[in-house]
Amino acid sequence: MTSKLGIAAAALALLCTAPVVAHHGFDTEYDAKKKVKLEGVVKQVAWTNPHMRVYIDVTGPDGKVVNWNLELTSPNRIRRQGWGPRDLVPGEKVIFEGYGGKVIESRGSLLSIRKVGSDTYLFEEGKEDAEAAAAEGRPVPAR
Amino acid sequence: MKRTVLLVLAITSVALLTIQAQEQVRHIAPANPVVADKDVNSQPIPRLPDGTIDLTGPWFGGGSNGDIEREGGLKPGELPLLPWARELKAKRLPKDEPYTACLPMGVPRVNPYPWKFAMTYTAKGLSHIYQLHETGDAGAHRVIYMDGRKHPEDPIPTWWGHSIGRFEKDTLVIDTIGYNDKFWFDSRGTPHSEKLHTVERWTRVNFGRMTHQFTIDDPGALSRAVTLNFTASLIRPGLKDGDDLLEFICLEDNQYGAAAGIQGVGSGK
Repeated sequence: MTSKLGIAAAALALLCTAPVVAHHGFDTEYDAKKKVKLEGVVKQVAWTNPHMRVYIDVTGPDGKVVNWNLELTSPNRIRRQGWGPRDLVPGEKVIFEGYGGKVIESRGSLLSIRKVGSDTYLFEEGKEDAEAAAAEGRPVPAR
Repeated sequence: MKRTVLLVLAITSVALLTIQAQEQVRHIAPANPVVADKDVNSQPIPRLPDGTIDLTGPWFGGGSNGDIEREGGLKPGELPLLPWARELKAKRLPKDEPYTACLPMGVPRVNPYPWKFAMTYTAKGLSHIYQLHETGDAGAHRVIYMDGRKHPEDPIPTWWGHSIGRFEKDTLVIDTIGYNDKFWFDSRGTPHSEKLHTVERWTRVNFGRMTHQFTIDDPGALSRAVTLNFTASLIRPGLKDGDDLLEFICLEDNQYGAAAGIQGVGSGK
């Protein structure tokens, strides 16, 4: 019986160590509890190092405009998927998901973005594959 | 007693569900397009005009990043860190990682971006190999002397150390000393000392993969020498954009820490 207790306790201890992984990377800066889904107008797409940023004006219910500064990965990593500066430009309306900053909420991590009225997600993996599939009449790979 | 066991298991299950329900922060970061497993033997291993095996790349992976033990094939806690090194690792916080301040990652670390070996030839033959990381070296380059010189007796401690290389048949062997103690082996803060001596053995085993046998000998931080094993994957040739290294200027717009109010990024303290 003692060994069963030991196994159970060991299992619990193992599980309790699992979230340590989450303390690295973007978790240092952004808050998983501040997940947002908003609609706005693109002000700037910055193809900058070390990471790209998309700046989006979001108008709240009170009419106040908040400029969201959203971080994704490096421009090179996006470019290797076939995306470029013509794919998203200032003035376009978008719907995006992300996580707010731990101190400054409107400085966030960008999880997904697409243009209003479109089902195509931008800067995600496989744009070239999707284009090739569409051109050949094959089903477009799911996001 | 049976009830006690059931209670512990129930708590364990609740803990599991709670942990799984916790959401991690994610962001748009597509994978690197590399040669697929099914295609690693689709072409012969290329060779240079002088017959030397072509290790150029560009490659993805082949070193540590998030956790040197796991990625190098060791079990958790198997790296024989001396007590001071184990304590330092436990104290280090992700926000203090030097790399977030655009400083180099060091050997054998690789960021999830491409890198390559670039050979330089003179009238006497292969004289240098430069290891170029698209991002992992923060824009710097690492020099590997291939001209037969020895290590200096009193090297100045540097981020990349002093590297001399040679070929053993088709394996590139790189011997390095003279490291500083500033870079981290992984994002968990695994430390080392200035006594660090590394030996890398790079072997292109087929068209699409290159193995890396990495030996760490650091009497200042480890109780014994350890060998780890990594594998690099070739970036898929023929990509419309980016089948070679692209420009990267880390300091251009590094806003790391601002969203969380982090001060003194990259201090390493």
